Amino acid sequence: MRPSRVPLVVSLLMAVFLYIPIVMLVVQSFNAARFGGHWEGFSFIWYERLLDNRPVWLATRQSLIVAVTSTLFSTVLGTIAAWALHRYRSRLQDAHYLLVYSPLVVPDILMGMSLLLLFVNLGVQLGVGTVMVAHITFCTSYVAFVLLGRLQDFDFSLIDAARDLGAREATIFLKIILPLLGPGILAGALLAFTLSIDDFVITFFVSGPGSSTLPVHVYSMMKHGTPSLINALSVILMTVTFSLVLISQPLLKKHTQ
Amino acid sequence: MRGGEMDAYFCLDGVSKRYGGLAVVDAVTVEVRRGEVFSILGPSGCGKTTLLRMAAGFAEPDGGRIVLEGEDITRVPPNRRRINTIFQNYALFPHMTVWENIAFGLKVAGKGRAEIASSVEAMLELIDLREHAKKKPGAISGGQKQRVAIARALVNRPAVLLLDEPLAALDLKLRQRMLLELDRIHDEVGTTFIYVTHDQSEAMSLSDRIAVMNEGRIEQVGSPVEIYEAPRSSFVAAFIGDTNFICGEVSGFPDKDYCELEVAGLGRFLAYNDKKVPRGESVTLSLRPEKLFLERERGAREGVMNEIRGRVEEIIYLGSQTRYWVRCGEYRLGVLMQHGRFLLDQRPVTWGEEVWVRWHADDGYMLQSYTEADEALLTVSDVESGEAAEEGHDAD
Amino acid sequence: MMPISGQEGRGRRGEWLLTLPSLVWLIVFFLVPTLLVMAIAFKPAEINGGIGQGWTLETWRRLLLPTYPAIIWRTIWLSFLCTVICIVMALPVGYWLARLPSRWRTWALMAIILPFWTNFLIRIFAWKSLLHPEGWIKEGLVWLGLIESQANLLYNSGAILLVLVYTYLPFAILPIYAAAEKFDFGLMDAARDLGASRFLAFRRVFLPGIWRGLWTAVLVVLIPAFGSYAIPDLVGGPTSEMIGNKIAQRVFTERNLPHASGLSAVLALIVLLPVLVSLVARMKEERAGASRKEGRS
Repeated sequence: MRPSRVPLVVSLLMAVFLYIPIVMLVVQSFNAARFGGHWEGFSFIWYERLLDNRPVWLATRQSLIVAVTSTLFSTVLGTIAAWALHRYRSRLQDAHYLLVYSPLVVPDILMGMSLLLLFVNLGVQLGVGTVMVAHITFCTSYVAFVLLGRLQDFDFSLIDAARDLGAREATIFLKIILPLLGPGILAGALLAFTLSIDDFVITFFVSGPGSSTLPVHVYSMMKHGTPSLINALSVILMTVTFSLVLISQPLLKKHTQ
Repeated sequence: MRGGEMDAYFCLDGVSKRYGGLAVVDAVTVEVRRGEVFSILGPSGCGKTTLLRMAAGFAEPDGGRIVLEGEDITRVPPNRRRINTIFQNYALFPHMTVWENIAFGLKVAGKGRAEIASSVEAMLELIDLREHAKKKPGAISGGQKQRVAIARALVNRPAVLLLDEPLAALDLKLRQRMLLELDRIHDEVGTTFIYVTHDQSEAMSLSDRIAVMNEGRIEQVGSPVEIYEAPRSSFVAAFIGDTNFICGEVSGFPDKDYCELEVAGLGRFLAYNDKKVPRGESVTLSLRPEKLFLERERGAREGVMNEIRGRVEEIIYLGSQTRYWVRCGEYRLGVLMQHGRFLLDQRPVTWGEEVWVRWHADDGYMLQSYTEADEALLTVSDVESGEAAEEGHDAD
Repeated sequence: MMPISGQEGRGRRGEWLLTLPSLVWLIVFFLVPTLLVMAIAFKPAEINGGIGQGWTLETWRRLLLPTYPAIIWRTIWLSFLCTVICIVMALPVGYWLARLPSRWRTWALMAIILPFWTNFLIRIFAWKSLLHPEGWIKEGLVWLGLIESQANLLYNSGAILLVLVYTYLPFAILPIYAAAEKFDFGLMDAARDLGASRFLAFRRVFLPGIWRGLWTAVLVVLIPAFGSYAIPDLVGGPTSEMIGNKIAQRVFTERNLPHASGLSAVLALIVLLPVLVSLVARMKEERAGASRKEGRS
């Protein structure tokens, strides 16, 4: 009895479907033509233009600043929240759980909209600060859930053993919990960083003039700029992302071993 | 059990399966008679499971054919064979109730609601699980799951029922009960069973005939008695129960039925020469421990009894029996003695005692083939492995 | 470690201390803003873009205008279609992945996830280029004689649906794969042994077996799809707007915040049902998992 070929065929077709746009981007980024469509020769010109493009660099820098800050805060908040959720069972935690879970299921645009209203009502100026606040808000939930998953597999008898050997709360936390949760915290932080760098809709709603992150800037480029520049930018971004993923895989694996 | 039935009901004819370069099943021919319980017995990795999967249709043979009631079903997919399987882990559908599990095959076959209902009810009655019909597999015990698996298969009235180590996941007491259950169900339903296992006590107690399998090949097919008392090879002799191997050279013929064997390191004694081995040839005898007797005094010469002097090296007391290991010359013979009448002031045989080991010349069975490696399957004469001696070892 | 259900002083205090940071943050920056959206929908808009005093039902009256039901319906319909297509495509893929030998599995998974690691806007941009009148796909289809050169692949609902599926497909594949990985494929053998065809076994045994993964996949595609903004904005046209477009339009173009709030409230209502169901299911699951671990069951 041979297994059906259908799943394999569908998977292959789907793989083609997934990669066509990417292949196109790469090819077109080397296309000397201004508006795609026809091939006018191999060229690095768009990459060169990109390197001179100041707004892109500013936006990139902005994205990084926001991402690093948000990651820091959300990782701390999320870790603590996960710990509380796992350790305690009470009505407080029920409410807590609801609050932490909800941002995960609410569409971006609703989050962006609601935060915008908050800032407008409080009279807060939209800028880097508001963007950071927004990012921290949704990243915290993701970090919390990653940690919660890791905590389910956490062997709590280790803590009992430590207590039995005379360790106090602080020592237990620093010498046992933190190191063992380390990989989980790292995974959560990585996720937060990725989400922050990648976010468009929420950022779009709460950012002010001059505080564009990269995605927001890319959006305006799409609306007003040269398509070919975006091709080159896309390829660069993809290369960076892919390299990061490839590098981090063995690193993360080693950690969890 | 009918004898002399030449037309096999279900037949695996010269079936082979290779994985990589290795022949996991090597030109195996098995002929199963209608209505019998036929076991395929062998250690882990002997190929019995692969054989079963081919019979069920989950693996395609690389050679040979599979024939059911005269019809070649080698290329027929599993869902169209009139063969059903009891899987080792039962494979009950967790999201369906017991009732729905049993009804599944009938539903798939498009039977009417009334017919399905009556068949399922009859099955539930047979396996005595009426009250649990609406439960899901997660809510019933291992033994009950086992019975549901049986019902689910039998309700489709298959021509052959394949059982893949069905009792492996149960504990000892439950296993013994389920064995009786299977026997009862077979008697009531009469379907041809093909039972695959590594546990010889299961095979021996349940089967009409057993095929002993080793390394992809069938070593012997026969009734449990034939397998036990007339093993063809050292593998069969050692895998089923326990035995002593004695290799000797035919050195004389005192009788037309008996020959004299010269055994290096043991001496000279009589053996029943059913295979008519000529002078000078080597044979190996399989001598089961229960056929040996320990006596303090030399016995009177009655019939063709062999007697050897030895020293007791090891004793394991098992309650109803005692196991001894006696050193006789270069051999270490295993002896199993049943206790009959017991007098409290009786002095039992003890370590280091010199005894006579006696056996009837008929009881040493000549093997057709002997492989030294099979000695490894014999019970180790270690005090700690006392349980191994009693259970009948699982050669894993 | 036994969970402490808020009793003695020290335990209680510890709990509050650990819960407060995230609790407060989320109340201030999530709960309050969400409630604010509902509230502002009832306030009048000021011409300069601010929020006026007092209360009014003006926003809600405007929502009854004929243009809105069409947009709401299109949003629901496109999201629903997208979900169905994603699930139908994700099922065979998840099934195939779960049956791959584990050496290949990691690589196959990475290959599928890799396109997903590109920025979401870039992926939309790529499709915009591909579907462009002078793009590859258009030229290819014209060359094959399947469509005319005047036909427009872009700026319509079809384009939106295509890009939606492209964007959310990995979201559907992952949970289905995760559930398929835990599935006991021996059950498929059992089903076939009992006479089921391959497809029947898939339908009656595999699908029920992974229903949790299926449900997660549905949620994780449907809810974000409802709130799509960038996709309809970039590849949709004026006749194929979704709620997201309108909300953004009210905020950025017309500076009518109460109106945007009203639309957001409508979106929230649409999203509410699946969200509530998933919340309740999740909490039940958490509780069941925890009590099983502690040996009570």
